[in-house]
Amino acid sequence: MIETVPILVTVNGTRHVLDVEPRMHAADLLRGMLGLTGTHVGCEQGVCGMCTILLDGTAVKGCLLLAPQLDGCEVETVEGLATGEELAPLQRAFKEAHALQCGFCTPGFLMAATALERSGRRLTREEIREELSGVLCRCTGYEGIVRAVERRLTGG
Amino acid sequence: MADTLPHVAGAPVGVGTPVTRKEDDRLLRGDGRFTDDVRPADALHMAVGRCPFPHARIAHLDTSAAERLDGVRHILVGADVVAATSVISPLRPTPGTPDLPYYALAPEVCVYEGHAFVSVAATSRHIAEDAIDLVEVEWEPLPHVTDTLAALAPEATVLHPAQLDSNLLSTNPMGPGADAELAAADVIVEDVFRVNRVTGLPMEPRAVVAEWRPGARRLTVHCATQVPHLVRMQLAETLHLDEGEVRVIASDVGGGYGLKLGAYPEDVLACLHSMRLVRPVKWAEDRQEHFRATTHARESVHRFRIAATQTGRILAITDTYAADLGGQYSSFGPAQLSSYTYPGPYRVTAGHVERQVVVTNKTPIGAYRGYGQPEVNFARERLMDRLAREVGIDPLEVRLMNLLTPEELPFTNLSGAIYDSGDYPRCLRMAADAVDYSGHRVRGTVRPDGRRTGIGFSSFIERTGYPSAKFLADRRSRYGTHESLTLRANRTGGIDLFTGVSTMGQGSETTIAQVCAQVHGVDFARITVHAGDTGASPLNTGGFSSRTMIAAAGAVRIAASELRAKTLRIAAYRLAVDPEDLTIDGQVVRLRDDPACAISLAEVHEAAIFGRGIPDEEDPGLEATAHYEPPAAAFAFGSAAAVVTVDPETGDFDVDRFVFVHDSGTVVNPLIVEGQVRGALAQGFGAALGEELRYDRDTGQLVSGSMLDYFAPTAADLPEWELLHTEVASPVTPFGVRGVGETGTIPPAAAIANAICDALSDMNLDITSLPITPESVWRAIAAASAGEGMS
Amino acid sequence: MKPAPFEYVKAVSVADAVALLTEHRGDARLLAGGQSLVPMLNMRLLRPSVVIDVNGLADALGEIALQGDAVAVGALVRYAEIERSSLVAERVPLLRHVVAYIGDRQVRNRGTVGGAVAHADPTGEIALVTLALGAIMRAEGPDGVRDIHAEAFFLGPYTTALAPDEMLTHVIFPPAAPAFRFFERGRKHNDFAVLSLAVVGRPEPDGTWRDIRIALGGVHDRPVLAAAAARALEGRRWDDALVRDAALLALEDCDPPDDFRASAEYRRHLVPVHVRRMLSALAGGHE
Repeated sequence: MIETVPILVTVNGTRHVLDVEPRMHAADLLRGMLGLTGTHVGCEQGVCGMCTILLDGTAVKGCLLLAPQLDGCEVETVEGLATGEELAPLQRAFKEAHALQCGFCTPGFLMAATALERSGRRLTREEIREELSGVLCRCTGYEGIVRAVERRLTGG
Repeated sequence: MADTLPHVAGAPVGVGTPVTRKEDDRLLRGDGRFTDDVRPADALHMAVGRCPFPHARIAHLDTSAAERLDGVRHILVGADVVAATSVISPLRPTPGTPDLPYYALAPEVCVYEGHAFVSVAATSRHIAEDAIDLVEVEWEPLPHVTDTLAALAPEATVLHPAQLDSNLLSTNPMGPGADAELAAADVIVEDVFRVNRVTGLPMEPRAVVAEWRPGARRLTVHCATQVPHLVRMQLAETLHLDEGEVRVIASDVGGGYGLKLGAYPEDVLACLHSMRLVRPVKWAEDRQEHFRATTHARESVHRFRIAATQTGRILAITDTYAADLGGQYSSFGPAQLSSYTYPGPYRVTAGHVERQVVVTNKTPIGAYRGYGQPEVNFARERLMDRLAREVGIDPLEVRLMNLLTPEELPFTNLSGAIYDSGDYPRCLRMAADAVDYSGHRVRGTVRPDGRRTGIGFSSFIERTGYPSAKFLADRRSRYGTHESLTLRANRTGGIDLFTGVSTMGQGSETTIAQVCAQVHGVDFARITVHAGDTGASPLNTGGFSSRTMIAAAGAVRIAASELRAKTLRIAAYRLAVDPEDLTIDGQVVRLRDDPACAISLAEVHEAAIFGRGIPDEEDPGLEATAHYEPPAAAFAFGSAAAVVTVDPETGDFDVDRFVFVHDSGTVVNPLIVEGQVRGALAQGFGAALGEELRYDRDTGQLVSGSMLDYFAPTAADLPEWELLHTEVASPVTPFGVRGVGETGTIPPAAAIANAICDALSDMNLDITSLPITPESVWRAIAAASAGEGMS
Repeated sequence: MKPAPFEYVKAVSVADAVALLTEHRGDARLLAGGQSLVPMLNMRLLRPSVVIDVNGLADALGEIALQGDAVAVGALVRYAEIERSSLVAERVPLLRHVVAYIGDRQVRNRGTVGGAVAHADPTGEIALVTLALGAIMRAEGPDGVRDIHAEAFFLGPYTTALAPDEMLTHVIFPPAAPAFRFFERGRKHNDFAVLSLAVVGRPEPDGTWRDIRIALGGVHDRPVLAAAAARALEGRRWDDALVRDAALLALEDCDPPDDFRASAEYRRHLVPVHVRRMLSALAGGHE
């Protein structure tokens, strides 16, 4: 039997007491144990950024975080962004700027951009492109994503 | 287009409206339903063992230790697959070829690194991978060949000796020939162009969830595919089931780009495990597998030639090319459209093309956005610049002189493709004006800091949609070309739209509904799209070949007209007016001249569904299914201009500007068209400047097969593109639309290469292979300097 | 792509981590930021039986502090903290400058200075800076604490002077020459460097340069100092000819690798070009 590790983790405001296998990564935990399938898995090498989540408010790659490391942490995922029926302003900006096509990368970009938005920094387009370069998109050519984030960061 | 504003809520939506997408809300909330998000209770997880060598015989295979591992439920090896299945049939076989044995697991010999030879179903993916580690294999490595041309050499190891006596799978010559023109030409420019092996790299790897219910004899397969109906056909054939026993569902697909076409071996394996275990079985491809098990693309070597007069007029074009198949079939095989579009947008009346399909010890090649057209565009547009240099005329002028004019269209090219309409020279002029080409010619290429600036052009056409089912049937294809679609009124006043086109990012739920709203009159918001389920949608072909908008627009137009007519008849009966005087306006049917005289769509729908309160001669129900076959392909077209700065000492270069002028006919949704163009450009840039699946010549190993080593562009790697477009309606398609999803992949490589060569025009260098990297530019400079020294 | 099984242990102190390393000698791995370790676990390229999580030791190892006139950076300090540190910006500006070139935002939020140094990637930016600035690596093992000079620390690709039961605790940056230039070229944004280099020096009032250090990354089996080039420039006034000749000497201290990112031949071409350009930029006070 593989030893499990007990953890207490808060995800989108809900506390969960779980026994996790050490070799499970955070993205698999969210998807497989909590049914939060909005966080996607794209490479498990820390390159593509599909699994980007907020760990205590900081954008990190879920595939590079072992499940036991979540003990005592607050995790935010894409499922926590909207308030009921109401999309968050960033989500609305993505929609209006056609910042998504297949939508597989969208949760990763939304979480990376949420952290950016909360930082209160005002950034140039070039800086936005740099800040978002840890999430890959293969559909949009990035322009819609950069526009959406630019609008949010300039109060649009 | 950059400033297109989204549509305002409440205003009518139809063809041409920049409405935001129906798909977006669920995807933005993390509520998309990708295949790996389907989580049936008690599902088992599959992992696949893959050959680490480019070519090897399985001398001995022992799965007993793996079977003993706690949590392992079932193991399949090649012999099990051969006993239980037929070969997987390719959707688009290469014409004139023998059948290669294409099983889900290699029975005896693996012909590429990553070729599957064993699969395990276990209680978790982790345990399934542990079991793969425990499979004992004794490999007998065999001589391998990975280089496309080397595979054709007489001494090369023959990969499929039982079926072939060399690695040349087929040759397909076409065209009228050009002997007289070649003999008469003042100038012939020719070279060998090597196009890199790349992959589409959807962010969602492939995935499948199979569930077999023996009592019901029902196999339900969730599959990340562009073509659910075709996968159903293939699985039924391979697994010896009736088609009625197989249901394939592809709800949200995380990008396809041609890679997710048809059944893959893992789809068959998940079904076999499930049928044996009577449990749902899931396989989610990991990225290391993806680089080996999902199709690669593009790799080809073109011997291209343009013959012309001293005045720059093209007399003939020829192309003989070797297209790499890899070690085995895929559903689509190597691209075929090089043979149809090699003459490009030019007035060419003599020439020929020959495609040679070559077997090598590499991952199978399949379809990918562009499908042969970026490859041949690179070769041709590079040579157009060489021709200009040879005859001493500006490259822009040489192109303008040879481009077909609007008056010459429709034009049948050397391969029989009919270019329907458009103004090709206008697009090129727009590109040249946008980059101030005449000013550049005056200013010259040398900059104060020692770097050089150059401008390059690339003109293109793209075949979009289908020519005809007959065309495909002649080429042994296993499917038709028609599109079918069902509309069904519901009692809350909306319309359910059922389509077999799965949702993979192209916005088809939105654009098909836009056409439906325009033709029928119902509110766009009240159309609910059900996509990608063979159990719900009428038979169709699926989403690829830039066909969806063309084919689905035709089908939905017919179905929506039919539904509208019946709706108006029933409403007229209930309002006691003439149907001719009625119209559908969002949520109501009303008199055209008196909006107060109206009845709600919900009431009409309910009457029809219940069969009460409708004319005696009407059947109950309110539903329409339509089938549509596009009569011809529509050719998209355009030109690109790149402005590039080069550092001659290091080969480093920057694309400072890139102007893309294109025509995709009538625009159904400007937001989506722009998104499609930008997405294709990103892939065009990636393939031109960085992406490369390289195999080590000595070891035959894939050396760039991981996300770390495959240089797909990030947001910080791409320049700001400038998009311009013309909108010439195609006469051969519904509403005049042309396909739009692939054009951006076609011109970037040649435009950038031409700009670099222009910047260094005094060095007379040449770029003939992709990708274009600082090192390759540096090498081209060195080669040109060496040539200079010798002459 | 799931890891082979391992046991997970949280270290409660540096001594505890060292004791665990000693207990599982050679078969345990320290987990800090995880940005290099976890991909290798996922790919089963590493199969340790124990993973020792040291992320709980931030009190001891998570500080950036002045020690005399040196700046001590705890091994658990994350790149993002370097980006935000005014002490680093003021005292070790090259480190601050170079951190922006590392990975992407998520990687910088999580990856640690100690992890980067101990991982010893031949293209690693932090390792390059430790060489360029003559940093000291402080390690703790069963026999206590020892300091290892950067020049003696990197032994080969992914190989350091750390013993299997030693843990890196701090990277100490002594005061260094004030002027620097940094250059990096990769195949794409965020990718491993095809070539990276840092030049550091002190302009003297008489127009000469002192304390020259030239560090190269991506062009050897480990980050290296171009010692011969630095010697040629030390204590002299620079002109174009001297800079060009010195830049060529940089090739004496490296043996560039041949891989699919770039050929050895191309890297050999680039080394003197970019060393020359960076030296000229340093001397000219421009990029």
